[in-house]
Amino acid sequence: MARVTLADVNKIYGTGTRAVHAVQDLDLTINDGEFVALLGPSGCGKTSTLRMIVGLESVTSGRIRFDGQDVTHLEPQQRNVAMAFETYALYPNFTIEENLTFPLEVQGVPPKERRRRAHQVAEMLRITPVLKEKPPGLSGGQQQRVSLGRALIREPAVFILDEVMSHLDAHLKFQMLFDLKRLHRDLKRTMIYVTHDQVEALALADRIAVMSNAKLQQVGGRAALYNRPANAFVADFIGEPPTNFFTARPLQENGSLTMQVDNSTLRFQLSSEAQAAVNATGGERFIVGLRPQNLTLDPNRGDPNRGRLKAAIAINEYLGERSILTLESGKARFRALVPPETAAGQRDIIDLFYDPTRVMIFDAETEDLIV
Amino acid sequence: MTPERKEAVVSEIVRGTPSTYPAWFSARKRSKPLIVSRRVPILLVGLPVLVLLAIVIYPTIWMFYHSLRDTNINHLFSGEHASVGLENYRTVLSSERFHDSLWHLALYLFFGACLQVLLGTLLALIIYEYLKSNLARALILILLVLPMMLPPSIVGTLWRFLLTPSNGAINQALLDLGIISSHIEWFNAGVSLWSIIIADVWNWTALPLLIVYSGRVSLPPAVYEAARVDGAGQWKVLRRITLPMLKEVIAIAFILRFTDAFKFVDLVYVMTSGGPAQSSELPTYIAFQRGIREFAIGEAAAYAIIIFAISAIIVTLFLKYMKRVMKAQGLA
Repeated sequence: MARVTLADVNKIYGTGTRAVHAVQDLDLTINDGEFVALLGPSGCGKTSTLRMIVGLESVTSGRIRFDGQDVTHLEPQQRNVAMAFETYALYPNFTIEENLTFPLEVQGVPPKERRRRAHQVAEMLRITPVLKEKPPGLSGGQQQRVSLGRALIREPAVFILDEVMSHLDAHLKFQMLFDLKRLHRDLKRTMIYVTHDQVEALALADRIAVMSNAKLQQVGGRAALYNRPANAFVADFIGEPPTNFFTARPLQENGSLTMQVDNSTLRFQLSSEAQAAVNATGGERFIVGLRPQNLTLDPNRGDPNRGRLKAAIAINEYLGERSILTLESGKARFRALVPPETAAGQRDIIDLFYDPTRVMIFDAETEDLIV
Repeated sequence: MTPERKEAVVSEIVRGTPSTYPAWFSARKRSKPLIVSRRVPILLVGLPVLVLLAIVIYPTIWMFYHSLRDTNINHLFSGEHASVGLENYRTVLSSERFHDSLWHLALYLFFGACLQVLLGTLLALIIYEYLKSNLARALILILLVLPMMLPPSIVGTLWRFLLTPSNGAINQALLDLGIISSHIEWFNAGVSLWSIIIADVWNWTALPLLIVYSGRVSLPPAVYEAARVDGAGQWKVLRRITLPMLKEVIAIAFILRFTDAFKFVDLVYVMTSGGPAQSSELPTYIAFQRGIREFAIGEAAAYAIIIFAISAIIVTLFLKYMKRVMKAQGLA
């Protein structure tokens, strides 16, 4: 059990002109027993961060603490961390039981006790039938569970999972999500989960740390990331399909402020709070964001303050439980999630409605959220 | 599609070169598909088979035939040789000279071939573990491989110079270092075999080294990281993870050195000619002596067949072991 603190951590690979700044000024605290996901596109520095926490990668500058104790320069085995690898990293010449018990063997636990613990973990992960087999004979899902089991068996302070589901098919993934959630609930251990898949992160984590370009963009719960993204990157990365973005300039109209989208007739109405915030910045250009989920075809939800957009349908993708409309107005293109029975076809002109309080405004330069 | 049009399309597909190729390259491109008739594959496979028949299979059968006859070089081609049944084999198997040479072979296998594999494995793992710069690795590998590229005659002559008892470099160095107090007589009976083994270890250790090194390079790094996180020390990792994973690679190195051991003649010939008093002879060298020098083709053939049988048994055992290892790891 441990609380993990990263203070001003930097990682630079290489030197001179070929140096790569992989992790920049990272500050992050993971509470005892918390499940935190590190989420970001490939190359964003999340795996480097995780490897520094485990101790497989040296820290260029900054401090890593477990429960206040400085572990920055300790070897992995001195930190009491366990890790499940993306490629499973099972010992191919060991049986599954030997794989599970290897950490105990290293610690000098007697064989009888090892055996007992192996069976206990195998039971929990439903791999008892394959204990005598060797890794190459197992399916991907079984191998991944063995690798989880090997991490669990020595009851580590921090439990680290690196992209553990990226090689599993959709079915297994669903099962593993459930298993992991259950494990965390039962064991109440500090878990750090690295992934590029927002679905996994949203499903599992208490809090999500979004990284991009070597920097931590935002840390927060699901609702915070979804409704109040810190910047355009987070808004874009979280949510499926991604947020619609428009470059726009403010326009005064009948005493209230609206956002006129460039090269398009689209115009967004803003909540009074947003109007005040935009006025306060005095800016000329902004990025307007609106999630496809927040656009609806239904005009009758008796809200007089609803905004309205008129656009032509470019594509109507039918996905079973819903449809995604890709719409065009002038040069602007955006998407809306609509009920699957929507019959409108290509080039039909339709009206879409939205709640002005759902409109997000970002600074055009820094891409940070204004309101 | 008309035949002409089809022809044109085919020719376009075959000849169609991306514009990025230079003109001379496009010009060299063949205008016809390579496989024009069903005879081509037969020809391509058949020629090597014929060559193999001529230089491997026919001589083996020929040798087996003569091992059962009292063939002498004088009437090898006249056909005036009679069947002697297993007489040649009896001669060989009961000869003291052959027994001694078998003992020499055992010493050579154990202290020559095995030592080479052990030393090569050790060096390969040390280089991989402690030399992290690619340039340094490449340089040291090239250095270590150099002896392997020298012809045996050069290696033999070189070591005869180095080991010359009275003023050879090795004796001088050992004397200067105070390790020995008088010259070692490197080419006396009982020592000359060891001189050959030393030269051979110097010559061939790089082969198992290269094999094991390339095996080590291809082991998955994630497994080693897992071992680090699990807290395994270097010795534990070596004993429980690295060596077991390199089992079949090391077995291959053994097979190669052992098969070579059975045809090992060159250094014996150059350095000692089997002497003094046949004290450094290996079975193959006797076969060569009896057949080529003393013209007893029949007996030499029997020697060759016996050596072949011994090496076949040993290599089969190795292959069986390898198959078991690979099966255990789910690879075969």
